[in-house]
Amino acid sequence: MSDSALKASPLSLSLFVWKNLWRRRLRTILTLFGIGMAIGAFVGLVGFSNAFESEWMRIYSSSGTDIAVIQQTFLNTSLSEAAGKTLRSLPLVENATPVIFNLMALTPDVNALAYGWKADSYEFDSMQILSGHRFQDGKPEVMLGDLLADQLKKKVGDTLEIQSSPFTVCAIYHAGSGLQADAVIMPLDQLQELSSLQGKVSTFDVRLKPTPVGESREHYLKRAQAEIEAALPGLRAVPAAERASNNQFVQLAHASAWGTSLIALLIGILGIANTMAMSVHERTREIGILRALGWNRKHVLLLIQLEAGVLGLGGGLFGLLFGWCALHILAALPQTASIVSTTLPAYLLAEALAVSVLAGLIAGALPAWHAARLSPVEALRYD
Amino acid sequence: MTSPALELRGVHKSYDEGRIEALRGVDIAITPGEFVAITGPSGSGKSTLLHMLGGLDSPTSGEVLFKNAALGTSVDLDTYRSQDVGFIFQAFHLLPTLCAIDNVQLPMISTNCKRNDRLARAKNLLEEMGLSQRMMHYPNQLSAGERQRVAIARALANDPEILLADEPTGNLDSVNSAHIMEILIGIQKKRGMTLVIVTHELEIAHMANRHIRFRDGRVEA
Ligand SMILES: Nc1ncnc2c1ncn2[C@@H]1O[C@H](COP(=O)(O)OP(=O)(O)OP(=O)(O)O)[C@@H](O)[C@H]1O
Ligand SMILES: [Mg+2]
Repeated sequence: MSDSALKASPLSLSLFVWKNLWRRRLRTILTLFGIGMAIGAFVGLVGFSNAFESEWMRIYSSSGTDIAVIQQTFLNTSLSEAAGKTLRSLPLVENATPVIFNLMALTPDVNALAYGWKADSYEFDSMQILSGHRFQDGKPEVMLGDLLADQLKKKVGDTLEIQSSPFTVCAIYHAGSGLQADAVIMPLDQLQELSSLQGKVSTFDVRLKPTPVGESREHYLKRAQAEIEAALPGLRAVPAAERASNNQFVQLAHASAWGTSLIALLIGILGIANTMAMSVHERTREIGILRALGWNRKHVLLLIQLEAGVLGLGGGLFGLLFGWCALHILAALPQTASIVSTTLPAYLLAEALAVSVLAGLIAGALPAWHAARLSPVEALRYD
Repeated sequence: MTSPALELRGVHKSYDEGRIEALRGVDIAITPGEFVAITGPSGSGKSTLLHMLGGLDSPTSGEVLFKNAALGTSVDLDTYRSQDVGFIFQAFHLLPTLCAIDNVQLPMISTNCKRNDRLARAKNLLEEMGLSQRMMHYPNQLSAGERQRVAIARALANDPEILLADEPTGNLDSVNSAHIMEILIGIQKKRGMTLVIVTHELEIAHMANRHIRFRDGRVEA
């Protein structure tokens, strides 16, 4: 026996697929990078927007708000402040506090969320004041989140100009959520004046009386929702858990994450399709040979689809790596560190791999169909 | 008389919507185990004829019968090519990215030959071709004669009854030519295969049981 043949392994379709991809290593690797970038964008952006949503969730759950009352959307500051009185008089409501929030340009290059609260808001209960004291209603005072204070280099007693009005920094606070750590909180009336929205608020945060024994939490929330909406026609009462996903910032983040990923994915698919179309074209004669050797159309179709699928899978694995790197970079940047979590949920990884393999199969479909359709004799004559 | 292994009945083949008539009514019957040589001028339709016999293409009219069953209707062409016929080409047509032993296994992927049998079969065939020291070599590492021997091993991979060779020695020098013919005739005798060779060399034609002369898409009387 020749010893050289001992190294041989049986040729299978999968080994053949591998050899075909390996034969054009450079092209294969470039294609993997293409689809990998797309999947990396998907993992990074969707991972980011999911983390963003859970940050919002944390704000709502830590402040003890059960229900938010809004006009239509969370970003409309069009609710009348007067509705607060009606709310507080409802039997299930323990407390209701008006809130404005808005994205504001504090300095030419620092944007921050600005919250307008009443000085007696129950939401202060869950907040830790590091230095200074709570503001008083009607005074031009602001409280800064610790992250934002660092960024602006302000301490208690300093003056901060917001839209050319001077505000005194009265406190620095620490918040559990990165979104609040990066924000300013000021008296509701001051923010109304700044944004020319006197008498208007964005939401009422409502804290309910304790759930009666024997009633389920969901049922109680439903009942409270109905009671509030009946008392204030035209307004919506949204449970806190739903509020995070309904939040327009979150929706915008999701939409741009998915939108960007889809565009990247489309480019990745075109990359694989181009690679496979070229490779089928170059191998026209080989496909003729395979047909002459008894391969039927299905075998040829399978060969090309498998090659494309393997490109998709490989690209997906590359993409997970890229996405992981991207999240770690975002987590290290001061601007995004507070919101980004570097842990990726397993379902997102599985989803990314599935999307990638699917992308490969879609991209391979047309070249595979073309290859399978070739007539053996025509393909053999091709040069 | 035994029934023919292969039979052409009134086979016509035209290209370009009838402008080119490659075959103009061919009737040939080939008995099992027969060695037939086909000669004729360039462009007379020899390769076209072989493609019909090998199920690579279908006639424009007329029919090709394998053991009295019409190819393309009673017999599935893919199955026929994979199980009943082996093809050898002038240009060898080995896949450049696969080593000799992998090339020989290619036809076995389309049948349900077990994975481990594939390797053993390919090894035996290459040994039979005197290539036991060349199994892991790639086509570009082999001489022309060696390549054609790999191609013969590949044609035998699924143990067909019929071997079709289109100018198998056309790219070889006289020494290698003689060697290849020796192998082909040896196989045909040993396995009782039906062998059809298209050739330009009269010497080869004289070794055959029957010599068919072709001209203008017809068998010359
Ligand atoms: N796919 C095709 N399209 C158009 N014409 C074709 C096609 N295949 C073959 N022909 C024509 O059919 C005729 C017969 O061709 P064929 O290849 O069978 O000849 P041949 O006898 O094998 O010639 P050679 O000895 O040069 O190989 C030729 O005129 C050729 O140009
Ligand atoms: Mg020819």
